[in-house]
Amino acid sequence: MSVTNELVVKETGARQKDSVRRDRPWQVVVWNDPVTLMSYVVFVLRRLFGYDLATATQLMLQVHNEGKAVVATEPRERAEVDVAQLHAHGLQATLARD
Amino acid sequence: MAQINRQGEQVYVRVSRAERKALLQILERLEPLIDDSQWARPRAYQEEEEEREFQRLVGTDLAESRAADLAQVREALESDQRILLSSDSAMAWLRALNLVRLALAERIGISADGWEEQFTMQEHRRPPLATLHLLSWVQEGLVEALSAS
Repeated sequence: MSVTNELVVKETGARQKDSVRRDRPWQVVVWNDPVTLMSYVVFVLRRLFGYDLATATQLMLQVHNEGKAVVATEPRERAEVDVAQLHAHGLQATLARD
Repeated sequence: MAQINRQGEQVYVRVSRAERKALLQILERLEPLIDDSQWARPRAYQEEEEEREFQRLVGTDLAESRAADLAQVREALESDQRILLSSDSAMAWLRALNLVRLALAERIGISADGWEEQFTMQEHRRPPLATLHLLSWVQEGLVEALSAS
């Protein structure tokens, strides 16, 4: 393999990595607060994300016990809409790169 | 004591005249606290620039939707009619009550899990904690009614 070809391969690889970084999914993180009812958190997670009761309960317990939980991993635009929805329902939520 | 049940597609909030009055008084006193609450303006990003962009493109006017939710609750309680809520109205009640509870708890000084054990039984039975528990009870009832298939 020639040097030129190696460079092309390296550049292509770098571009792909960069592209992967940009397209990498984002995490929707829900944070604990001491007052919001557990049943309400479960209800909102089911309503917004379509989770079944067991999954939503598990995520809620993770929020409660660990202070936060990743409730969805998705493209940035979709994740932002979900965070806005969570805010509209009174839950504390942020975005983070996966 | 108030009862909250599912009736077909609607949620029936059965409250006495005295309970309506008490809930209205609670809302009247607590509503002004909400906008100043630490929970009223959640952030999506830590970084200022990204947060500004998020608010510009995606963020909804939370103060406006909050006021609309609270108005729905007030109007239902003020009317002489049976309180039969559509699913959307029940959601508005849930969102409104959630924020009222957060604002009240902040005013009481609740800032960490386990706060229930920090108060005596007597304190739990008197305002402001009793008010918090009443709001929790209504919120739980609405969640249960909406979750019932």
